[in-house]
Amino acid sequence: MNETPVIEIKDLTRRYGKLDAVDGLSLTVKPGRCYGFFGRNGAGKTTTIKCLLNLLRPTSGTVRVFGLDPQKEEVAVKSRLTYVPDTVAFYPWMTVRGTLDYLASFRAHWNRDIEADLLRRFGLNADQKASALSKGQRTQLALVGAICPEPELLLLDEPTSGLDPIVRREFIETVIGAYQSGDPQRRTVFVSTHLISEFEGLIDEFTIIEQGRELLTMDADAARDRFRKIRARFTQPPAKLDLPGALSVKQTGREVEVLSNGSSEEIIAKLKACQPEDVQTESLTLEEIFVASKHLSKPTA
Amino acid sequence: MLLQVNFKTGKPVYLQLVDQVRYAAASGGLRAGDALPSVRQLAEDLRVNRNTIAKAYAELESQGVIETLPGKGCFLKENNTPFTKQVRQKLLLKEIDEAVVTAHHLQVDRETFLALVHERLDYFESKQEK
Repeated sequence: MNETPVIEIKDLTRRYGKLDAVDGLSLTVKPGRCYGFFGRNGAGKTTTIKCLLNLLRPTSGTVRVFGLDPQKEEVAVKSRLTYVPDTVAFYPWMTVRGTLDYLASFRAHWNRDIEADLLRRFGLNADQKASALSKGQRTQLALVGAICPEPELLLLDEPTSGLDPIVRREFIETVIGAYQSGDPQRRTVFVSTHLISEFEGLIDEFTIIEQGRELLTMDADAARDRFRKIRARFTQPPAKLDLPGALSVKQTGREVEVLSNGSSEEIIAKLKACQPEDVQTESLTLEEIFVASKHLSKPTA
Repeated sequence: MLLQVNFKTGKPVYLQLVDQVRYAAASGGLRAGDALPSVRQLAEDLRVNRNTIAKAYAELESQGVIETLPGKGCFLKENNTPFTKQVRQKLLLKEIDEAVVTAHHLQVDRETFLALVHERLDYFESKQEK
C-alpha cells in the first residue's frame, strides 16, 4: 500500500498577477526517496512547496500529498509532514525548551530521545531565549522541531543557505542520521536547494525547474552516468569538430572540453579519430549538471 | 577501514563502496570477523543517503563477502564464495579479458603483462599475511 506517491504534482500553475511563477509543473516523489528540487532564485521552488502546504492555492493543476488534497484535508496532510523554510522565526520570548514544548503540543508523536540527543549534539542550551539564538542555532532548533515528530515527509526549502559550513554539514548529517534511520519506507525527504554539492550524496532523484517549468528529472546515478565532461588534447589545434549530442564545446588552443549528454561513447570515438595526445572523461556532479542544464533546450510555451 | 566516495567517476555510489570493501578484504585491510561500520554511522560520515549504504551492504551480503548478525551489525565473512568453480572462473575471465584488451591498447606486451600480474598477486598476498 506504500505505492501511493508521497508527493504528486500534475500540471501545477500558480500565477501572481501576470507572472507565471509555476507554469505546468509535474513531478512524483515515491516513498522512502530523497528528492532534490533544484532551480535558480525565482524559478518557482518556494511557490511549489507552498502549494504542497496549502499556504498558496494553485491557479490550476493538482497537488496531492500522501494521495490527499492539501486544500481539503489540510490537517491530515500536515500532521504527517514537517517543513523547514529558508528563514525560520520563533517567538522571541520563548526559550529553546518552551519552543520545543510548544511545537510538540501540536503533534501526536514526539521522540524525546532524539530531542535530547540533537540538543546535545548541536550544543543548544534549553534555557536560552529564542531571541538570543544565532541564525545557525535557529535553523538547528527548527531542524530539531522538524525531526522529533518523526514525520513521513520532511520538506526542506533552502534549509542551509546563509549558514556556515560546519552548521551545514551537521544539518545534513542529522537529516541522514537522526531522520533517515527510522523506518526507511516512511522517511521521505523533499529538499529544494541551490547548494547542491552538499546534498549530492543524499539525493536519489531530482528535478531541475526553470521559469516555473520542469527542465530535467532524473535518477542521480543515471544523471552522473549520462552527463560527462570529456577533455582531449591534440598536437595541432583541431579543425572544426562535429560532435553529436554535445551540450557545449569549449576549445582553447590544442585543448577541447566537451560536455556530453548521453552520447559520450560517440563523442570519444570522434575525438579519438582525430589522433589526440590524451583523452580524459569524468562524470559531472549534480551541481555541474545543474549549471550545464542551461544548455538543455529551453522549455517552450 | 576508511571508505570514500567520488561522484566524478560515473560509477554508482553503492558499487564504489562494494568494490572498496572487496578490495580491503583481498588486501588485508579487513579480515574475517572484522566489523563494518553501521549503516547509520557510515551514511553520516560519508554524507550519503542511508539507502545507498544499505544497498551496498545488501549487495556484499548476496556476494557472500559479509554477513549480518541481527542486533550486532555486519562482519566480514571467511573467504568462501557461494559460486561453483566453473562460475568463479567464468566471472574472472570477463575481468581478465578487459585487462588484456586495455593492455593491447596501451601496447603492454605479454611478458610485461604477466610480470605485472605476478607482482600484483605478490603485493596482495604480502599485505594479507601482515
